Amino acid sequence: MQIDGMLTFRDYSIPRKLTWMNLLVSGTVLLLASSGFFAYDLYTFRKGTLRNLGIEAQIIGTNSISALLFDDPHSAENTLSALQSAPHVLFAEIYTPDGRAFAAYRRDRTGSFPPPPLIPAGQAQTYLFQSDQVALARWIAFQGRPVATIYIRSDLQAMHDREKSLAVIVGTVFLMSLLAAMWMSSVARRSIAEPIVRLAETARIVLSEKNYSVRASTTRERNEVSVLISTFNEMLAQIQERDAALGEAHNRLEQQVQERTAQLNTANADLEAFSYSVSHDLRAPLRHISAFSQMLSEEYGPKMDPIAQQHLNRIQNGVKNMGKLIEDLLKLAQIDRKRLVRVPTDLDALLKEVLTELEPEYASRRIDWRIGALPAVDCDPGLVKQVFANLISNALKYSRRRELAIVEVGQFEEDGTSVIFVRDNGAGFDEKYTSKLFAVFQRLHRAEDFEGTGVGLSTVQRIIRKHGGEIWAKGEVDNGASFFFALTTKRGNLLAAAQAAVSVR
Amino acid sequence: MEKDLKLGSGSLDRAGVLPLIAPSCTSQRKPLRWITALAVVAALFGTPSMQGQHAKPTEYEVKATYLYNFGKFVEWPPKDTHAESDSFPICVLGQDPFGSALNSILADATIDGKSVVAKRILTPQDGSNCRVLFISSSEETRLKQILVVLRGTSALTVSDLPQFTQRGGMVQFFLEGNRVRFDVNLTTAEQAGLTLSSELLKVASNVRRGPRLAD
Repeated sequence: MQIDGMLTFRDYSIPRKLTWMNLLVSGTVLLLASSGFFAYDLYTFRKGTLRNLGIEAQIIGTNSISALLFDDPHSAENTLSALQSAPHVLFAEIYTPDGRAFAAYRRDRTGSFPPPPLIPAGQAQTYLFQSDQVALARWIAFQGRPVATIYIRSDLQAMHDREKSLAVIVGTVFLMSLLAAMWMSSVARRSIAEPIVRLAETARIVLSEKNYSVRASTTRERNEVSVLISTFNEMLAQIQERDAALGEAHNRLEQQVQERTAQLNTANADLEAFSYSVSHDLRAPLRHISAFSQMLSEEYGPKMDPIAQQHLNRIQNGVKNMGKLIEDLLKLAQIDRKRLVRVPTDLDALLKEVLTELEPEYASRRIDWRIGALPAVDCDPGLVKQVFANLISNALKYSRRRELAIVEVGQFEEDGTSVIFVRDNGAGFDEKYTSKLFAVFQRLHRAEDFEGTGVGLSTVQRIIRKHGGEIWAKGEVDNGASFFFALTTKRGNLLAAAQAAVSVR
Repeated sequence: MEKDLKLGSGSLDRAGVLPLIAPSCTSQRKPLRWITALAVVAALFGTPSMQGQHAKPTEYEVKATYLYNFGKFVEWPPKDTHAESDSFPICVLGQDPFGSALNSILADATIDGKSVVAKRILTPQDGSNCRVLFISSSEETRLKQILVVLRGTSALTVSDLPQFTQRGGMVQFFLEGNRVRFDVNLTTAEQAGLTLSSELLKVASNVRRGPRLAD
């Protein structure tokens, strides 16, 4: 199929290969057979020529014996002149046994010829092929004694003519056989190569156009090729079926995803609107309660007995807690509504800010700060600041019963992602409740032990997830808690890395 | 050169069927030197005892050789008196012109397994056993009587005498230039019951039929 470049036989297309193989095989066979025929014929012809020449020499010699014995060259020449009827004889000469020329014949009347070939001792005759002539010398004996040597020279015109006509015949046969071989190879091509070529073409179309609906044309024959074609077609049919099923499933899923997304969006919007309005609407009555209990305390406080005053205090604390709760809920709702703005942020500086702001909370306590270097990352600094604030204030809160609280902040690299952790030596938690840790309003400690709204970690998780990251925790009751987060990563790798980090410690 | 070819052409026709292809006459013309050089040929052939001898033979040496060679081309009648004889006598009647040549040439010579011997005879009556009988020139005056005497025998008569074949002889030598040639009288030979080979007749200068030998 390729046209450009150097094509070796191996790269030839199958039809071409078949044709070449046919031509090569038949050509070789023909060539061998023809050369054999040619060589045999020429050999036979040459032998015949020599034989005839020998006979001619013998006849001439025998008829010249009396002329030789009675010294009559004239008579010998007469005998020799009979060679006119053998036009291939160029020259003939009779020699006496002592080597003298006795009589000669020349077809063309003139011309000189090389001396006769020497007859080896014990032989009757010898011959010599010289370019396009053959020379033959023969002893003539009479009554047991040699009486003469006959020397005959013949041209090889007949042999050359024979060669020519043989060449024509052999060439014609060769050509016709090659034509026949080509014709037969075209038949073979129809039955073997063409189906394969069509199959290859179909495969090419399928691959280049990704069109699985085309089919290779089948043959009427029953053989490996037809099996190949029908198998190929079957495979195409299966692929097509699978494609259709896959497309359908894909469409169905897509549709489902769209439906679910729409539902989810509606639900989310409803929920946000609901929580926002609830928090907002809750504030108004709370302000009334707060304002009037304040007025009550200021105007009637001194008149109240201590028990009433205590009750009022409780009311005011409850209102304060509720206000805080509503504020936290509003923050949580805001995270979902706010757009994430990523900017390059120095986490070291961010952490310093957080610690400064929290200083009033821990100023009176003994705390061992173990702060490691943090990286600079692309993130929303306001939100990530909330993450640090929440986690560190949690650490301070749950470690406040310790004589010496240890709060550790650091990072490690895992799979090219930086994981940041916040660790304390505080109350810790039972790991079987880890799933509840980040849920809204879920608390693992009693409010009497550690105050809180149960919204903080929920907010942290939401911020991290909004960045495309993950947060997870490790802990043990009364043995501290560790919170790990990565702002962008694959979850599984990180979990493994975190476990490794923990086990090292 | 351009003589007609009775015997030669007849035998060559058998060979002539062999060439398959018609000839193309590509002639290479060369000067005639070769032919003229070839025309001069020495006059001594075929005799084993003469092989390798390069001195030019004398006239009678040639004639002696011919006498012997005639024996090879003549058939004698089977019912012959000398059939049982195991020698082949070649006789000279009259004054011997050969000298020692005849004996030396015939030494070791055989014809049909018979050893050839030279005999000198003085009268034709002695020649009854001879196969070949040379009649010397010295016998010219007696020739007629000699031939009459020999009529009953089957000797091939040979002589130098002029008009020998016309006078009833069978083979007559003569000189043509320095070449020895001979004439043949076929009729007289047949009268004596001899068959001369066509090969012999082919090289004879003149083959005459008759005259018959006078009774």
